[in-house]
Amino acid sequence: MSVAVRFEDVTVSFSGRTAVSSASFTIPAGKRTALVGPNGGGKTTLARVLLGLLTPEVGRVAFLDESGRELPRPRIGYLPQRSTLSPQAPVTGLDLVGLALSPGPGFGMSRAVEAEARRALARAGLDEELATRPVGRLSGGQRQRVLLGRAIAGTPALLLLDEPDTALDAEGMKTLRRIAAEEVAAGRTIVYVTHDSDAMGGADAVFRIDGRVVEEFHA
Amino acid sequence: MIEFLAFPFFQRALAAGFIVAVVCGALSFFVVLRRLAFVGSGVSHGAFGGVALAALVGAPPGLGALVAALAVALATAKASDDGELTEDTAVGVFTVAAMAIGVVAISFLETNVDLFGLMFGNILTVDPKDLLALGAASLLVLTLLALYFRPLLLASVDEDGAFAAGVNVARMRLLVLVLLALTVVVALKVVGILLVSALLVLPGAVARSLASRWPGFLLGSIGASLVMVLGGLFISVALDIPSGAAIILTGTLLFLGGVAAGRLRRRT
Repeated sequence: MSVAVRFEDVTVSFSGRTAVSSASFTIPAGKRTALVGPNGGGKTTLARVLLGLLTPEVGRVAFLDESGRELPRPRIGYLPQRSTLSPQAPVTGLDLVGLALSPGPGFGMSRAVEAEARRALARAGLDEELATRPVGRLSGGQRQRVLLGRAIAGTPALLLLDEPDTALDAEGMKTLRRIAAEEVAAGRTIVYVTHDSDAMGGADAVFRIDGRVVEEFHA
Repeated sequence: MIEFLAFPFFQRALAAGFIVAVVCGALSFFVVLRRLAFVGSGVSHGAFGGVALAALVGAPPGLGALVAALAVALATAKASDDGELTEDTAVGVFTVAAMAIGVVAISFLETNVDLFGLMFGNILTVDPKDLLALGAASLLVLTLLALYFRPLLLASVDEDGAFAAGVNVARMRLLVLVLLALTVVVALKVVGILLVSALLVLPGAVARSLASRWPGFLLGSIGASLVMVLGGLFISVALDIPSGAAIILTGTLLFLGGVAAGRLRRRT
C-alpha cells in the first residue's frame, strides 16, 4: 500500500518563535520527496511533525491511501540525523531492530521477528557477526547502519530520512540509494530532509522550506 | 549462626530480603540504564514526608510513604514532560519540599517517631502483615515490569526509535517513575529511606560493569541484589551490626569487585 502525506496549514512555534508558518502541501504516495532549505528553515521541524514527535499549534497532518481515504498514522521507518541510540546501550543491532519491530509485552522476540530483523540488517549492510555485536562495540558508521536496518525493517509504507547524507558514510549512502530505489519500486513513499535534493539519486518532488513552503517542484 | 534459621523472625527477614532483592534488582536495571539514580534517591527521600504526615493523622506509614513517593514521581514526570524543568531539577525541588513537610509534621507530633528505623530500616522486625504487603506490592511491580519490558527497554535505549515504532515514550517514562515509587515503599522497611536508593543503584551498577547485553545485565542485577540483601543479612547477624548498613556495604564491595573484574576482562 502506498501512503501520501498531506500537511494542512501546519504552524509550529518554539518559545514564541515561529519555526514553520501555515505549511500546506502534499507528499505524493510511492515517490521520493525531498524537503530542502537552509538550516533553521523548518524542514526538520516538519519531519518531526510528520513523525508525531511534535504537535503543531495550528493545522494537522493527514495520511492518505491511493484513493485519497484518510488513514491512521502508519508505522514510519525513521533514520534520524543524530542518533538517540546510546553507545552504552546493552543491546545488539539484532536486539534493537527486534524491539522496534515488536515492542509489545513480554521478553523475547518471535522467530518471525528475528528473521525479519536479520534480513533488514543484512540489507543495511551489516553481516551476521556485526548484527549480533553490542552496539557499544560498533563504529559510528556501523551504528548508523543499525538505525538504517531499524528504519527499513518490517517494510513500513513510509520511510523518513533526516539528512541521511550527513548521517551515513559514502558506503552507507550507496547502500541507502540502492534500498531507496528498491522501496520506491515496491510502491513505498520516501521522504528525506536534505540540503541536496540529488543526495538520494534525484527526487520526484522537492519542497523548499524556509519558515514556510517557498517553492515546490514535481518531476 | 545456623541456629538463627530456626527463628521465625529470621525466616521472615530472609523471605522479605528475597522479595526486596528480586524487585529492586529488576528495577535497578532500568534505574542504571535510564540514569535515574538521583530520581530514585529523591523519590525515597520524598517518602519521608508521607510517613511523617501519616504519623500525624494516624494513617499507616506505608500508605503515607506510597502517596508521597507517587506524588514526587508524578510531579517529576509532569514537570519534565512539560519541558519546564529537567528531570533532575524537578526531583530536587519536589524532594526537598516533601522532606520539609515531613519535618514540619514531626514537629507537631507528641509521640516519638523511630527516625533511625525510618532512615535505615530494620529487616529483622518484619512481621507477617508486612511480609504480605511486601509480597503483594512486589508482585504488582514485577508483573508490570514483565508486561512492559520490551517497550520500556526500547524507550530506554533509543527514544526516537521507540516513538517511531509507536511506543508511548512519555507513558513509559511515567511507568518507570511509578514503579520506582512503588519499589521505594516496598524496600523502605528493609533498608530505610537513606539506603533504599543505593539498593536501586548498586545491583544494576554491579551488573552493568560485567554484562554487555541486556539479558546478562538484567539477570546479573537481580543476582547481585540477592547476594547484597541475603549476604548482608547474614553478615549483620554474624557481626551484630545494623542490617541496612550491612546490605549496602556488601553491595559496595560487590560493585568494587565488579568494576575490577570488568576492567580485567576488557584488558585480556
